[in-house]
Amino acid sequence: MKDIAYFKKLANQLMFDLSDDEALDIQNEFETLQEQLHLLESIDTEGVEPMVYPFEDETVYLREDEVTHVISQEDAIVNAKNATEGHFRVPKVVK
Amino acid sequence: MFEKYNYENAAANAYAALEKVKKSHELYNDVITFVDPKEQLENMPKEGKMCGVPIVLKDNVNTKGVLTTAGSRILANYVPVYDATIWTKLKAAGAINLAKASMDELAMGGTNLTCFTGPCLNPYDTNRMAGGSSGGSAVLVASGAVDFAIGSDTGDSVRKPASFCGIVGVKPTYGRISRYGIIPYSSSLDHVGYFTRSVEDAAVALEVLAGRDDKDMTSSYKPVEPYSELLNGDLTGKKVAIFKNVMDATKNEGTSKLFFDLMKKMEEKGAIVKEVSFDDELMKAILPAYYLIANCEATANHSNLDGIRFGNTQEGNSVEEIMINTRTYGFGPLIRKRFVIGSYGLFVENQEKLFRQAQKVRRLIVNQVKACLDEFDVLVAPASTSGAPLLNDNSRDQLSNEYLIAENHMVIGNFTGYPSMTLPMGMVDGLPVGINVTSKAFDEVTMFNVALGIENITGLKDLKKEVA
Repeated sequence: MKDIAYFKKLANQLMFDLSDDEALDIQNEFETLQEQLHLLESIDTEGVEPMVYPFEDETVYLREDEVTHVISQEDAIVNAKNATEGHFRVPKVVK
Repeated sequence: MFEKYNYENAAANAYAALEKVKKSHELYNDVITFVDPKEQLENMPKEGKMCGVPIVLKDNVNTKGVLTTAGSRILANYVPVYDATIWTKLKAAGAINLAKASMDELAMGGTNLTCFTGPCLNPYDTNRMAGGSSGGSAVLVASGAVDFAIGSDTGDSVRKPASFCGIVGVKPTYGRISRYGIIPYSSSLDHVGYFTRSVEDAAVALEVLAGRDDKDMTSSYKPVEPYSELLNGDLTGKKVAIFKNVMDATKNEGTSKLFFDLMKKMEEKGAIVKEVSFDDELMKAILPAYYLIANCEATANHSNLDGIRFGNTQEGNSVEEIMINTRTYGFGPLIRKRFVIGSYGLFVENQEKLFRQAQKVRRLIVNQVKACLDEFDVLVAPASTSGAPLLNDNSRDQLSNEYLIAENHMVIGNFTGYPSMTLPMGMVDGLPVGINVTSKAFDEVTMFNVALGIENITGLKDLKKEVA
């Protein structure tokens, strides 16, 4: 049984917090999930290659190195809450 | 039904439809943003396959200058600077967008209860869910407000709400429609899909939407067929496989009777109908394999939602604090739960045991379905075990075959990438229930023809619960 600290740690690695109630909720559901995952783990996949995409046909080819799809600097920062002189602005990193 | 629209009547139809969209929203909470059609009407082409057709777009479709939230608080202020390819194509065909529709947050749900603007309600019973994640789009078509809506389908997010709302929901072959400009969920499973109230409209719409797009490297080079011209609805000699594992796991007698009565009528029209069983242990692994693949991919895809470059930025004293505060405030509880599961699956010690195992099981499931469709034209099953569940329904046993197989089998369409659609089969306890039809890769022509044959039998073309 994983404790709620375990789930809070997982969340923090993904850059968000969980409240105690939320972590407890996940802990409770995790038991059902573990049973479902057991159904998955019990399948014999010896010698089977992972399937990453539905089709393995090639749809990507090298093209000429030409600029084709560019947005302006103004457009690039228009949705940023904090931007200054064409740059995204963040709190001081080196202190 | 698209044929009633044209350039001359576009404005009158658009404004009349907008009033219906507003009415539908009052009743069912199915809209996130309304769109004034004035500028589109001024710039629309005089001809096109969808000339003057009022439509709505799911709110994960990027629309230049129009709020696009993907149903999440973290994107509540996001205004794209570009259009998704499908919106560019729809505009070129003459369609007029009236709204951005409600959806489950970041398309990660099957209920449409998790949108940051609140739950979207079913038009047949407002105590019930619309289904998700494309619920708002489904409801706006089911209520007769519009005749076409865009959705997206990663697990069954078009085909399930289509069943619950009594309309046609199409997920074409993976790669058939460009995904450029759709806010992603799970890249190996995501498809653009759409809703109509007739198979004929569905065929016309695919002619508009399909085709290679160099901006989406997974889009296919295969030529787009004249799907509507090739429609005949002829079931003679069509080989139909009944998904027996689903029928064995379906407990609702009304749904089973409706389905088998329809199969009998299809046989009378010349179809060759047989039951096909897949490995039951593999079928029980569909949902856990989906959960792992989808959530692991989502965890990576949504790492760009950090509040630095765009989004609903929250204050913080460092870059890390800004990210944590933004993501904690911006993501709802279900999303955070799914991300935690994704993170768990991607842990070094779990990657081979869980994530790679899920990808291997995916291949085994796909192999079985492919073998079936090497022999048959289509695979069919009820799209849901019953009508739409109640909003607060927590009664389902998540380890039962009914839940693992019968309620979630349509994920197979995303695993395989094969074309798959739902259309109304009839009513069970006063609620619509759909039938799901899946065909071979890129064989949308056969899928549409079997669907039209079914529509001709049921007589449920243009089924709707119309808003006044």
